[in-house]
Amino acid sequence: MKRIIIVGGGTAGWLTAGTLAAKIKESCDMGPRITLVESPNVPIVGVGEGTWPTMRNTLRKMGIRETDFIRECDVSFKQGAKFAKWTSGADNDFYYHPLILPQDFNHINLAPHWLDQGAGQSFSEAVCPQEALCELGLAPKLITTPEYASVANYAYHLNAGTFSKFLQKHCVDKLGIEHILDDVLSVNSADNGDIRSLSCASGSEIDGDLFIDCSGFKSLLLGQHYQVAFKSCKDTLFLDTALAVQVPYPDENSAIASHTISTAQDAGWIWDIGLSSRRGVGHVYASDYCSEQEAADKLRAYVKASGADADKLDYKKILIQPGHREKFWHKNCVAIGLSAGFLEPLEASALVLVEMSAQMIAEQLPANRAAMSIVAKRFNKTFSYRWQRIIDFLKLHYIVSKRDDHDFWIDNRNKATIPDSLQELMELWTYQSPWHDDFDHAAEVFPAASYQYVLYGMGFETQASFLERSESRRKLAMESFQKNKMLTQQLVQHLPTNRELINKIKEYGLQKV
Amino acid sequence: MKNNIEVLDAGKHSQLKVITGRGAEFGENVHFVPVVADELRSLVLDYPIVLMKDEQTGQFSLFALLGFEPGENLYLNGRQWSASYLPLHVRRQPFVISYASDAAGDKKSAALSIDLSSQRVQNDMGELLFNGDGSPSPYLTQINQLLAKLVGGMDISQRFVQSLAELDLIEPAQINVAFVNGEEKSYDGLYTVHEENLQALEQSKLAELHSKGFLQAAYLMLASMGQISKLIEMKNQRLQQAVG
Repeated sequence: MKRIIIVGGGTAGWLTAGTLAAKIKESCDMGPRITLVESPNVPIVGVGEGTWPTMRNTLRKMGIRETDFIRECDVSFKQGAKFAKWTSGADNDFYYHPLILPQDFNHINLAPHWLDQGAGQSFSEAVCPQEALCELGLAPKLITTPEYASVANYAYHLNAGTFSKFLQKHCVDKLGIEHILDDVLSVNSADNGDIRSLSCASGSEIDGDLFIDCSGFKSLLLGQHYQVAFKSCKDTLFLDTALAVQVPYPDENSAIASHTISTAQDAGWIWDIGLSSRRGVGHVYASDYCSEQEAADKLRAYVKASGADADKLDYKKILIQPGHREKFWHKNCVAIGLSAGFLEPLEASALVLVEMSAQMIAEQLPANRAAMSIVAKRFNKTFSYRWQRIIDFLKLHYIVSKRDDHDFWIDNRNKATIPDSLQELMELWTYQSPWHDDFDHAAEVFPAASYQYVLYGMGFETQASFLERSESRRKLAMESFQKNKMLTQQLVQHLPTNRELINKIKEYGLQKV
Repeated sequence: MKNNIEVLDAGKHSQLKVITGRGAEFGENVHFVPVVADELRSLVLDYPIVLMKDEQTGQFSLFALLGFEPGENLYLNGRQWSASYLPLHVRRQPFVISYASDAAGDKKSAALSIDLSSQRVQNDMGELLFNGDGSPSPYLTQINQLLAKLVGGMDISQRFVQSLAELDLIEPAQINVAFVNGEEKSYDGLYTVHEENLQALEQSKLAELHSKGFLQAAYLMLASMGQISKLIEMKNQRLQQAVG
C-alpha cells in the first residue's frame, strides 16, 4: 500500500484524512502517502453541527489544539440532548439523553431501583448530574481544566462550514496531506475490477491503492462507479426533508444552550443547536405527512417563539434519503460519510460514523491487496451492524412515544415499520431493564445507558422482576443515588455558564495540561 | 478583609508608619506566595517553586510553596521567617502599584500606593515613609526599587511561563506525602517543568530558551522540587512538637 486517495473535501474527507495521517505518522516511518482530491465547484452540505464525545479524541489524536478548534469553528459545548414534546406532546413534556453514564454504571443497574421509587425525579436527574447542568446552561468544565479533559462528559456543537476548512488547513500544514483541487471526471479500472486511477478535468490522472469515497450524497465511486445498491430505511424512519436556518443571537453575551434541543412536531422534529456565534435551527419532517409550506410555517413559529426575528429568515432545503449502501467497502474502494448513507440527525450519528470508519481503516490499514479483501469483509460486517443498531435506536424514540395527535406518530408505532431486532429488544425490556449484555459490546454505537435514558425518559414501563432485588443491592443503589445528588450539587456550584467559559477560552485559551 | 488602596502622597501620608517585621498578624500565614522568575536563583535554596493556574483565567503563574494547607506557612515561626531569602511579594507588603486611567479613560499610569487596611500601617510604630521635607525616606526608596523589580519581573515571568506552555514543557506535579502522624495527602493543581520533554527539545528551541535565560530558569524550577522534602521535614517537626 503506497498511496491512499480520498475523494471529497467536506468534513468526512478531512476527518478521514487527518485520522489516517495521524495514525500512519505514529506507527510507521514510510507509510502510504495520502492525497485528497476535492472539486472546486461542489459546495459542501455542511449541516452536521452536532458531535459525540468521541470527537475530542479524534481531534486530539490529529494534533489539533482544542483552543484553536473552539475559537475558529464557532464551537460550544454539548452535554446531550433535550427531547421536548416527544412523549405526550404537552408543553411541559421533556426528557434528557445526557452524555454521562448513570452513576456507578459498571457496578449496578439503577433503572429497576429508580422504577421502584415511583414518580418524583426524572430518570436522568436521579442517576446523572447533566440534566441539572443543562437546565442551568452550565459548561461541562472550568477554564482551569486542560484541553479535551472534562468535568462533565461533553461533545461539541460546531460550524460545519468552517470546520472542514479548519481541518483542511491542519491536515495540509501539519500532517503533510497532499491536496488537489480538481473535478474527477471518470474512473479507470484495473483488470481485477479495482479502481486503478481517477481522470480529472485538468487532464491529470491520479492513481492509488485504496480509494476512499467521501464525495457526499453523490457517492461518486461506491454508488455511481460500482453501483453498490442503496438500502432505503424510509419504511422505518419516515423523515425525508429538512429545512435549515441560521438564527442570530440577540447579542454577543446571550446564553448558549449546553445541549441540543429537539422538539417534536406533527410530522417530524425541530433541532436547535447553539454555536458560539449563532444558532442552527432546522425542521426535519416526513413529506408524506407534511407539506413544505406547513413545515416552513412550523419552523418560523418555533424561531419566533424562541425570541428571534423569524420573518426574514431564508431556509435551505435539504432532501434526505434515509438509508445506507448495501456494503461500504467494495474492491479497493470504501465509502465514508454521506456517500455511505444518511439518517435523520436525531442522535448526531453522522460524524461519529465518520470517526468510527476512519478509525477502523486506520487501525486495520491493509498491508497489501490480499489483506484488503479480509479487512473489507470485516469492515462491512461491523458497519452493517452499526447502521442497523443506529436505525433501531432512532426508531426507539418514535415507538415509545404516546402521541396520537397525528397519523405520523400513530403510523410510526405500526409493527410493520419496526425492525425485528428492535421488536425483540422491546419485548425483553418489558420484563427487564436494558443492560450491558443485551448488546454485542465490541461494535456497539449506543451503550445500554442510552436505551435506558430514552426508554425511562419517555415513561416506558418495565415490569418488576426478581433481578436487582436483594437488600444489599437496594442499599448500594441508594448510595449511588445519593452520590449523584452530591455530585450534582457540587457541579452546579462550581461550573461557569457555557457562554462564560466560551468567552474565557476566546480570551485566554485552555492549557494543554 | 477589604483592601483600602490609596496612592501615596507626601502631604497626606507624612505621618504614616509601616511595621517591617514578620508575623501571622500581617497575613503571612499563607501556604504559597507568587514569585517572579528573576528570584528563582535565590528561591531555589529554600522553597519548592511550582506553577499553578489562575482560577479565573486558567493561566499559569509561578509560586513558592510555604506549606501544605491554607493558613500554614512552615517557614514562619512567630516573628521568625526561617529562610535565607524572602520573596519580593512578601517584602513589598503593604505597598502595591496601582494603575489609574487618565481623563480619556484609556492611558494607564502606574503609581506607588499603599494598602491602608494592612495591620502594618500605623501612626506610632515603624518606618516613616517621608522625610520632613516631603522627600521619600530611605525605606520608601528601597520599597520603590523593590516594586520596580517585581513589576519588571512579572513581565519576564509571564513570557517564561508562556514559553514553557507553548513548548509542552509543563506537567502536573504528582505530590504525595506521608507525615509522621500517619496522615497521607496528595496535592492537585500543582505543575512543574516536564523534564523529559525538556531533554528531548530540539537544538534550535533549546538555544532560543537559553538565549532568554529561560533554560536556566527551567532547571532551577526542577531543582527546587527537592525542597518539598524540606517542607515535609518542617511539617513533621511541627507535628512532633505539637505532640511533645
